[in-house]
Amino acid sequence: MSAFLASGPNLGRGGVGAWLAGLSPRGKVLVLAGEVVVMLALWQLVVGVLGWINPVFFPPPSAIWQGFLELWSSGVLATNALVSLQAWLTGFAIAVGIGIPLGLLMGTSLPVDRVVGPIAWTIYATPTIAYQPLAKAWFGFGIGPVIFLVAISAVFPILLNVAAGMRTTNPSIIRAGTVFGAGRFQLYRSVYLPSTVPFLFAGLRQAVVLATIGMVVAELTGSAQGMGAVIIRAANTYQTDQAFAAIALVVVWSVGMTQVVTLVERWVAPWTRKARR
Amino acid sequence: MTTTIEPTEDEASAPSLISVRGLGVSYDVARTGEKLVAIEGVDLDVREGEFVTVLGPSGCGKTTFMNVIAGLVKPSAGKVLVAGEPVTGPGPDRAVVFQDYALLPWRTVFDNVRFGLEMQKGLKGSGWRDRVQEAVELVGLSGFEHAYPRELSGGMQQRVGLARAIVAEPRILLMDEPLGAVDALTREVMRAEIEKLIAATGKTVLFITHSIEEAILLGDRIVVFKSHPGAVKEVIETGLERPRSERSIQSDPRFLELRDHLWDALQGEATAAAVSK
Repeated sequence: MSAFLASGPNLGRGGVGAWLAGLSPRGKVLVLAGEVVVMLALWQLVVGVLGWINPVFFPPPSAIWQGFLELWSSGVLATNALVSLQAWLTGFAIAVGIGIPLGLLMGTSLPVDRVVGPIAWTIYATPTIAYQPLAKAWFGFGIGPVIFLVAISAVFPILLNVAAGMRTTNPSIIRAGTVFGAGRFQLYRSVYLPSTVPFLFAGLRQAVVLATIGMVVAELTGSAQGMGAVIIRAANTYQTDQAFAAIALVVVWSVGMTQVVTLVERWVAPWTRKARR
Repeated sequence: MTTTIEPTEDEASAPSLISVRGLGVSYDVARTGEKLVAIEGVDLDVREGEFVTVLGPSGCGKTTFMNVIAGLVKPSAGKVLVAGEPVTGPGPDRAVVFQDYALLPWRTVFDNVRFGLEMQKGLKGSGWRDRVQEAVELVGLSGFEHAYPRELSGGMQQRVGLARAIVAEPRILLMDEPLGAVDALTREVMRAEIEKLIAATGKTVLFITHSIEEAILLGDRIVVFKSHPGAVKEVIETGLERPRSERSIQSDPRFLELRDHLWDALQGEATAAAVSK
């Protein structure tokens, strides 16, 4: 019977697939946690216990944990994480502050879209690292180039998604708004803006990941402080356990912030939640 | 074949609520530079309280015709008067039910129905809540006030569309194949409910459909459209007693006579439309 009640595509889905799809949210978290534990255990076994790989090149989880504790107790972690955090948050705020209004403008006005669009896509398509030498020339060696790279990495996914959201507003809803007497401003507020919200959050999720990449790229090459600087210094002195610990923290931040964006989206835009039947 | 079906003459004595004279709509096709004639030379008078169904094959311009009356499309020729006034845009005297429902996905059922009220009359005072609730109950959606459209079946979504259209108490309901996207069983149920609802509220209805049965079941008069260009082929008075039950009417000789006549009238049109595509 349950096969008839299941919703969604069910193309050739076997027993495991059906089981995974039917899991409760808590069950999904448990499966994910199990996967992480198994991977860490295998890693520990291959490198730490069996010694198939030289731990200097690829330290086992236990060594990375040690590296983390060293970074923590020496105070290196707190100082550098704070610097990175500051640069990330400032750069991200700039990206949001420019990306949302400019994206709305692009979505509203075709001339603005035609002028800004190609420029935005060009800069977006350029690898971030190419801007790093320029950023150093423009902003010196401090936090400046890091903020710049975070902002320039994060602004385009926000900008382009918001513009696309405005532009792809369902024409039949616009027609309905017009029929029921909405003026230009009311259409903007009641139809265009809400229908852009899911696009904004999609853009923000991409922006979080790209901002973190931009941050690390900037810190790896031009900066005396920050998580990128910790990674490169540790690696240069063969303290790969500390390097891996710093990388892990950056990943945790990146993934954590995308989750925060998703949580905010559920709160701001509850209609985008998957319908449960 | 003996038939009593004669095209009806509009009585000059009864004042018409909707008056269409020599209406034509044509578009310039940018790609080819040609002029596309959607409808041409349409004359029609609809009396207050009349239920008029507009029947024709796909692409015959019946939706364009309705959009002109709704104020969404400007005519290229002729004129449309509603209650003696020329139509210059959408107005609170007319409401539209769309084939694809055109609900706002970010609004609950209650707030979607409210939309029909807030744009044209504002929400001043305290009476609006009761009016929205009344409309929700009238279409049988009590208990679903807080559901989002995506959580509802197609039939239920169209009930929301219907409630949104009647909540501001327009004189004219324009329905553009409202049951075209609904499954057959739900369609049958909703036809009966629409008939009952219209009888109770005494609204003037223009109902677009490509179903012969639907046109006969619901209409006081049937306007048959032809294609290329879209124009009125004939107007037929159904002359069937109300209320009409879908079951009993199937064997009514008048129903069968009308169905045969309309089938003959449409077959040529449908073939012509299919060939030209």
